[in-house]
Amino acid sequence: MKALSYLIFTQIKNRILSLKKKPALLIFYIIIFLFVIGSMVTLLFFGKAQESKPNADDRVLFLFICGFGLLYLYTFIVSGLSTGSSLFSMADVGLLFVAPISNKKILFYGLISTIGKTIFASIFIIYQVPNLKKSFDYSTIEVLGLFFIYIVMIVFCQIFSIGIYLFSNGNQARKNLVKTLLYGFFGVLAFSVYMIIQDRQVDILEAAKILVDSKWFGYAPVAGWSIMFFKGLLEGTVMQIAISLILFIGFSVLIISLLTAHDADYYEDVLYSTEKTFQMQKDYKEGRNLSGTVNRKIKIKDNENGIGKGKGASVFAYKHMLEMKRVSRFVFIDSATVFFAAGAAIAGHYIKEDVYGYIVLSVLVYLQFFTTVLGRLKIELIKPFIYLVPESSFKKLIAASFTSLIKPCIDGFIIFGAFALTGGASLPQCFLMALAYSSTGAVFVGLTIVYQRVLGGQPSKILQALISMILFIAIFTPSIAATVLVSIFILPDSLKFLTLLPFVIVNYICAFIIFYSCRNLLDNTEYSEGMSLPVR
Amino acid sequence: MLVVSNVTKKYGKLVANDNVTFTAEGGEVSLLLGPNGAGKTTLIKCISGLLRFTGSIEICGYGNKTLQAKRYFGYIPEVPALYDMLTVWEHLEFIARAYSLENWEGRADQLLERFELDDKKKKLGRELSKGMQQKLSICCGILSEPKVILFDEPMVGLDPHAIKELKNLIVEQKQAGNAVLISTHMLDSVADFWDSTNIMMDGKIVDRRKRREMEAAGENLEDVFFRITKREND
Repeated sequence: MKALSYLIFTQIKNRILSLKKKPALLIFYIIIFLFVIGSMVTLLFFGKAQESKPNADDRVLFLFICGFGLLYLYTFIVSGLSTGSSLFSMADVGLLFVAPISNKKILFYGLISTIGKTIFASIFIIYQVPNLKKSFDYSTIEVLGLFFIYIVMIVFCQIFSIGIYLFSNGNQARKNLVKTLLYGFFGVLAFSVYMIIQDRQVDILEAAKILVDSKWFGYAPVAGWSIMFFKGLLEGTVMQIAISLILFIGFSVLIISLLTAHDADYYEDVLYSTEKTFQMQKDYKEGRNLSGTVNRKIKIKDNENGIGKGKGASVFAYKHMLEMKRVSRFVFIDSATVFFAAGAAIAGHYIKEDVYGYIVLSVLVYLQFFTTVLGRLKIELIKPFIYLVPESSFKKLIAASFTSLIKPCIDGFIIFGAFALTGGASLPQCFLMALAYSSTGAVFVGLTIVYQRVLGGQPSKILQALISMILFIAIFTPSIAATVLVSIFILPDSLKFLTLLPFVIVNYICAFIIFYSCRNLLDNTEYSEGMSLPVR
Repeated sequence: MLVVSNVTKKYGKLVANDNVTFTAEGGEVSLLLGPNGAGKTTLIKCISGLLRFTGSIEICGYGNKTLQAKRYFGYIPEVPALYDMLTVWEHLEFIARAYSLENWEGRADQLLERFELDDKKKKLGRELSKGMQQKLSICCGILSEPKVILFDEPMVGLDPHAIKELKNLIVEQKQAGNAVLISTHMLDSVADFWDSTNIMMDGKIVDRRKRREMEAAGENLEDVFFRITKREND
């Protein structure tokens, strides 16, 4: 055990010491630390001074716990069906697994280090202390209980994922059984919500609150167990807390027993998932597989093997279209388009006020940011070819951005077409929303270019994140300001549907200015394998 | 063919290349030797126009970042950078179209056959093993028939057959009058065909030798390399 404790403490020590070389990160951690301390002090000394909130509805928090629980349950089961989860790193595989140390001790080390990482990653809940106090008037014990059950939930899901992998690996019938149970479970939940709506004549949100607050839901895996624990804490019911912990601990012990059975030869079971996790982290760091690639096997037929068009710089655009075709047969229309359009159609059905239409647009633009800045132009910039091809930088930049500029236009008209069809907004307004969505896409492509121009080769991650955030604000300020000014001071009520027109025009002007002013980007910037992403 | 003059590359306070000057002539295989961290890969990337630097680099008389120069050189990176969603054949087609090559198909077929990739034409980039990716990366770098070829650790990950083919290919390029610059620290792999060597330490070229000079002095590459790098370390 000496080697393992040495490993844990030395890694912690070195991580702390490495901060000496990263002052910005050190300041960031100090701020987080002070914030956490501040939150704890608020909780301990001013907790009782708050007035209780008679209107506070605990069920809202139950819904959040349920949401997290179901999300983790689904994600980790799906991961368990393919690769399993892993408590180890590749260094553990290479150095620990072959060392003369008991397999059970190594498993224990894996669990301890995973719990440590989870606690560190879950510290954000402490940020919510003021909100939880303000909204629900929770005490120290209750907030810490929430923090505790969140960590238990994640650690359990990781162990559960390994259990699913052990149970189903290489056995299609068992995989199908797990899938059936999983989808059956979600089906039962959906049916229960439907029955509550029918029975009590309440809306969907109220029905969901009633469901998660019901006694039997406490026995639903992960989400229910977590809610049961927290409810027990709120109501002071020891039995509920005990049952919840017994369920979590019991199943964990069962899975670990399975894992350590037969002389604890579990290495093979976690090896594949560890390698996969390592590869995914590596790809992410190197900026590979950022978008558009799928994990499924793609079979290329003889008549499909070729780009077919393009000469010089334009081949980048044709190559992108071929790559997109391999992901979706409709090229520009992919699963994200369909998903967003379906979301917009549903929102359109329930939302009838203009202001909500703009909220839908804002949410979609927020999501569009990630799909665009991690898009194909970004992938090109982390490969050497675009820098080496003997064509002008401007031509290559336009060609490599082509699909990223066109896709938001097509997406915009499909998404807001669906929004208009279900009555979310008038046709002219939806038309302008589609244009606005297209224009933000162009701005995000521009942001990728500016980011590379300004930050290409910048080693500090903190500085990168900070500058990219400033760039983001600087680029969108003119269009938002123009929209607000024009809609308040110029547009008469009869033309209010044109509110977004200045936004569209200014966005396209900004995008054009960026493209033109950065036209020599590929001659002046530095190629870097595995560049960081604009905003993390 | 390749003239590197006073090239300095800094990353913040770290000087990766410090006032580096050397030339590589046509019909010659020049080596960039040095221990890990000597600045070889950085220098190759500067020559390829992938990094900013101070100083000047000329390829066939043109500045290395000009379109003319880009037509004349080929670069084979240390880590193959391929597209996940393009097949082996499509990578070559992409290069041919990007460089506006004519009648390239026969040459592409020959290259694939030499490196035993002819039966992998329909394999996607992401489905290739590391060695296969390296082979394809070499084919991509050579397809445009460059006059100056920059190899960065080209033998890493290759199987014996591919190493043999690559050595043959390098000799052919030399015989065709092209300049070949190879960055490596695997001395054995280049011992048969090198003509001049540049030994790097801490970002500087600390020694330059011609093969004939070294052989006339009764020295060999390995002895010279270890003597110089040890002396510099001391």
